[in-house]
Amino acid sequence: MREEHGNVGPVMISKGEDPGDVRTDVPYQLITILSNLYPWMTDGKKIAVVTRKCDEKALAEFFKRGYFARDRVIQIGLACNREQIRQCRCSDPVPSVVDIGEPHGGLDTDALSEKLMAMSSEERLRFWEYQFRKCNKCFACTTNCPVCFCDECVLEERTFVPERGVPPGMSFHMIRAYHLSDKCIECGECERSCPAGIPLLTLRKLVARDFKEMYGFSPGDEKTVSPLLTTLEGESLDGDECDEC
Amino acid sequence: MTEFKPTILAFCCNWCSYAGADLAGVSRLQMPPNVHVVRVMCSASVKPEYVMKAISQGIDGVLVLGCHVGDCHYMTGNHRTAKRMPVVQKILKDIGLNEKRVRLDWVSAAEGEKFQKVIVDFVDEVAKLGPNPLKEVRF
Ligand code: SF4
Ligand code: SF4
Ligand code: FES
Repeated sequence: MREEHGNVGPVMISKGEDPGDVRTDVPYQLITILSNLYPWMTDGKKIAVVTRKCDEKALAEFFKRGYFARDRVIQIGLACNREQIRQCRCSDPVPSVVDIGEPHGGLDTDALSEKLMAMSSEERLRFWEYQFRKCNKCFACTTNCPVCFCDECVLEERTFVPERGVPPGMSFHMIRAYHLSDKCIECGECERSCPAGIPLLTLRKLVARDFKEMYGFSPGDEKTVSPLLTTLEGESLDGDECDEC
Repeated sequence: MTEFKPTILAFCCNWCSYAGADLAGVSRLQMPPNVHVVRVMCSASVKPEYVMKAISQGIDGVLVLGCHVGDCHYMTGNHRTAKRMPVVQKILKDIGLNEKRVRLDWVSAAEGEKFQKVIVDFVDEVAKLGPNPLKEVRF
């Protein structure tokens, strides 16, 4: 990330170029950008990207599905500062290799999750209803999400989300929650980009917790296949699988 | 107040559960009238999106029926369903709906009676839960 004229934005440099005023304390989903860049990269060339722990997990999801070649992406580990960890309520902030920054421990609890789960289901429903009513269907949450990589998004399918009408209804958020249940790496980008300020990360965290409880799987784990793509015995479903959904 | 009659959507796979439903019909088993049966080729073709959409549009309960594990016409179709539906239920729970509004069960072609039992049970249970609160939520 580079600071220029008071604004911070992502920057790409090639060998020997001066990166300028580098900032490392701004949360930003570089993997989303990388996923757009990658198809345009010259064959055989490599790219280095600054990765926080969540970026690392997002990359793992890409490698696992064969979207990126492992040897073409070099990771520069960045440890998040305390403030960032607090904002993301991140439980696992330290990348496997720390090149920049000081590692800090994660937080185990998300206050809002706890509060919601302590509520009665009626109250919880009212809370989410109020939140989702604010949605203006801008698709920022989807566009900025590193692991939303399907070519055809179900949320753009008229069967599931009507073409007209804002807010888009509960199903928009429920379907998104389902689709990300085995992919979301809890980077918090959706919550940061949502202009309506919907606590989307909290919903992700709730689903992730259930998913972990049921199948013992957390997204970002490079070695195991998503349980949704395996049989009950854990064998992977081969053949004409669509690896997007 | 009249008794609450839930509206139920039942997805039945073509090869077992739908045949089971057929058998139940042929055997003249009494069935609650508020169940809409949708025939699908396999329980795995019931995308969770359909369930979510039905629930968010105010259907009181969704029942997904397939062949017993091991008997799926497409070998591992229902393994997938068996893993997806619990996720759907958890999401319902997380946003504040009762996870019992979605149920997955297995009914074979020979189990007409089981079909009836599953339907009656589910209708009773959903009737106890009351109307889907999302029915009132219009946006
Ligand atoms: S936290 Fe949001 S943006 Fe990040 S991976 Fe999960 S759904 Fe996508
Ligand atoms: S970013 Fe927020 S307002 Fe935009 S579509 Fe997503 S949830 Fe709705
Ligand atoms: S064909 Fe019946 S569950 Fe797959």
